[in-house]
Amino acid sequence: MALKQISSNKCFGGLQKVFEHDSVELNCKMKFAIYLPPKAETGKCPALYWLSGLTCTEQNFISKSGYHQAASEHGLVVIAPDTSPRGCNIKGEDESWDFGTGAGFYVDATEHPWKTNYRMYSYVTEELPQLINANFPVDPQRMSIFGHSMGGHGALICALKNPGKYKSVSAFAPICNPVLCPWGKKAFSGYLGTDQSKWKAYDATHLVKSFPGSQLDILIDQGKDDQFLSDGQLLPDNFIAACAEKKTPVVFRLQEARL
Amino acid sequence: MTSAPRGAARGTSQRDLEEDADELVHLYGLEDDDELGDEFADETMPRIEVSEYPAAEQRDWRLSGEAAEAEDLGFGGWGSEGQCQDLREAYRYAHGRASEEYECYVIPEEEDEEEAPDVFCATCKLPLRALEKVLEEHKGHEVTPLSKALESAKDEIHKNMCRLEKQIIEMENFACHLEEVFITVEENFGRQEQNFESHYNEILETLAQKYEEKILALGEKKKEKLEALYGQLVSCGENLDTCKELMETVEEICHEEKVDFIKDAVAMADRLRKFLETKTDVELAAQPALEDQTLDFSDVEQLLGSINTIPAPSAPVINPQAPSSATGSSVRVCWSLFSDDTVESYQLSYRPVRDGSPGTDHTESTVTVKETYCSVANLEPNTQYEFRVTAQNRAGLSPASERAVYMTAPSPPVIKSKEVRSCEEAALIRWESGNLNPVDSYTVELTQAEAPGAAGVTESVVGVPTCEALVQLQPRQSYAIYVRALNVGGPSARSEPATVHTTGSYFRLDEQTCHPWLAISEDGLTAVRSERKAPTREPPPRSTRFSRCVAVMGNLIPVRGRHYWEVEVDERSDYTVGVASEDVPKQEDLGANRLSWCMRHTWAAPRHKYEFLHNKTTPDIRITVPPKKIGILLDYENSTLSFFNVDISQHLYTFSCQLPQFVHPCLSLEKPGRLKIHNGIPVPKHVALY
Repeated sequence: MALKQISSNKCFGGLQKVFEHDSVELNCKMKFAIYLPPKAETGKCPALYWLSGLTCTEQNFISKSGYHQAASEHGLVVIAPDTSPRGCNIKGEDESWDFGTGAGFYVDATEHPWKTNYRMYSYVTEELPQLINANFPVDPQRMSIFGHSMGGHGALICALKNPGKYKSVSAFAPICNPVLCPWGKKAFSGYLGTDQSKWKAYDATHLVKSFPGSQLDILIDQGKDDQFLSDGQLLPDNFIAACAEKKTPVVFRLQEARL
Repeated sequence: MTSAPRGAARGTSQRDLEEDADELVHLYGLEDDDELGDEFADETMPRIEVSEYPAAEQRDWRLSGEAAEAEDLGFGGWGSEGQCQDLREAYRYAHGRASEEYECYVIPEEEDEEEAPDVFCATCKLPLRALEKVLEEHKGHEVTPLSKALESAKDEIHKNMCRLEKQIIEMENFACHLEEVFITVEENFGRQEQNFESHYNEILETLAQKYEEKILALGEKKKEKLEALYGQLVSCGENLDTCKELMETVEEICHEEKVDFIKDAVAMADRLRKFLETKTDVELAAQPALEDQTLDFSDVEQLLGSINTIPAPSAPVINPQAPSSATGSSVRVCWSLFSDDTVESYQLSYRPVRDGSPGTDHTESTVTVKETYCSVANLEPNTQYEFRVTAQNRAGLSPASERAVYMTAPSPPVIKSKEVRSCEEAALIRWESGNLNPVDSYTVELTQAEAPGAAGVTESVVGVPTCEALVQLQPRQSYAIYVRALNVGGPSARSEPATVHTTGSYFRLDEQTCHPWLAISEDGLTAVRSERKAPTREPPPRSTRFSRCVAVMGNLIPVRGRHYWEVEVDERSDYTVGVASEDVPKQEDLGANRLSWCMRHTWAAPRHKYEFLHNKTTPDIRITVPPKKIGILLDYENSTLSFFNVDISQHLYTFSCQLPQFVHPCLSLEKPGRLKIHNGIPVPKHVALY
């Protein structure tokens, strides 16, 4: 698969690059950002996948988060894909900011007209890692995943659905229980149809209940004053409770807003 | 006896030498060897022309000097003049010429080549012309070319010259030595003379004194007697006078008239009667003869006797204590005698130096030794003893030497092994002095105990002033640590060792800080709060003990590195684990102030509540799997304190804490329960990332 470098910038001794490629799963051109730390020049590094939230592209994380210094110091290759297929010309994909473009929800859609392109789950868990492993100095055995909001939800479900694939998973203000929150209901009914049993396959809280191993170390940070928290979109308590019952190790940090 | 080899060219100098040689020969009774000397002279030697002997100028400078010396030393005073003279001559002879001055290696060319002999007959020892060889005379004789003969003769001479040179050097050395001996004899005898003279003078003085005394006494005695006799004489005279007077009076009376006569006669008769009744003493007041007196010459006798005896020795000089020559129970005392006195034995007396009133409880011990040193044993450690020594010979005891104070080495200290704390880079050791009185300093010795019994390299830290030392060590090793006490006497024996493993950090819970309701195990690693009610009588509050929260602190080594330990907890108990600085307010809860950081677990079924407390605040943290063993990483360099679930290698929380002071592990039990500390664990990999 041919990779086309879109941009490359020096950053903290490493290189922040953006590539474009033709995605098989998503049937369109996709961009992704990748940071190569200084260590990558001389050896293979662990790979850390970042999944962004609603409305984001591959640019938000690399522009706003300030992660480069830490990645450079710790010698991590950080890959930030886009949040949904782009330019597919599906009717209705740009109508809402929380459904369609920029809101892939990291599922493999089963409903028309979304099922051709909206296969973000397979893209993130299969196609992209294979592409990265083949083209960049990464250690295929050391892969982790994290994300924010919808991306947090994506990180959690990818880890829970693939035991042993990821060394660690952490999430910032993730959507923990999409089946029960407005965002989730909207997205799942659009992508997966009305059969709620199919929804559970992409719900972290449900997935935890049947998660086979405890070889997972989950870290969740949640802002206490997060509006979406109070809006009931995130529902971390449900997830925590489920983990506590299943004895899945989670550290959940409710962060104060410090003024 | 060397005698100068002869050659053709001789001057008067040669004859002088001959005279000297003859003299010496005469002196040493070598008359018989005269012939030997002559033989030498007559022997037909190969006619080798020796150009010249250097004019044997007698070194007059030596002579004059020698003469002067001879006078000084009073050589003229004793022994025969002739002998002295001869000795001087001999001396001069030996010194007359330095060995380098002999030159004998110049051999001139033969002038007459044609007629010159060119072979040498070894048998006849004659140089010949080759032609002559065939003559009958020399038939069958050994013949060598003349040049060869010359060579061998030269060699022969050369060898002899070397030997002569050597002999000259030997003689010169011997002469020097003799000079020294002269001086020594002078000194030795001089001293003896002085000694004798003083003794002798003492005797004479004593005798003179005695004479004076005696004469004086006799004079006194005489005067006494004479006075007594004179007194007697005077009274005799008086008596006579009285008698005469009475006689005259009687005569007068007899010539008087009857009537007067009767009157006076009666009175006179009375008077006469009275007078005659008084006794006249006709005993001699003093005897003419002198009473028998034996003169007491015992002291003179003693003095006379003491001339023949050797004097008592002079006081020895006792040496100051040599450094590190003492043990905990003995000292080695040394002294010396700075004279040539004869000494048969020494008496060494000693007693311990005690502060306070002298004269009490001073048991002085004495040993007699023949050497000038003595190892005195069975002493108390770390104690000063006063020593003095006297020398003894037949004549008696010398005066005592000055007193010297020696000190025994101290007893070995005792390491407080229960208080040893360590980490990967250092260990903190405390000990008891092991001695009642203070010592000067301590030495800490450490060896890597890799192979037991093997002599590894021992590192020493010297000059430790207090009973505590922080020693730098290598990580992941085992060490045996010893301590010695040191004073002027030397080092004590090694203490019993303390073993330190520099893997992870080691510490114990400090009973001094323990809340009364908490019991600490013997090994200092387990804290138990039992179900029992609190004791009715509360012990008085002490600033070192926790009084409000049922807590205890550990003693972590004060080293600013990374320290890791684990605490085994009970899922159902309410506990708090973390760190606090030494001066954390003991009347407050852990985590309620700026001097403590801790993780608190509260179990309110079915929920586990976790707080990470510092200065009364905690983040809102939820943990789904309650840890059974909590790993705690204290990192001074990164100023962090991290907590882990050891069993699942899960990071729980990290404090960012500024730690200008040292902190110690602390824990408390809010409900009855048990907390056990695990020590000496190297930092696990997953923890090392934090």
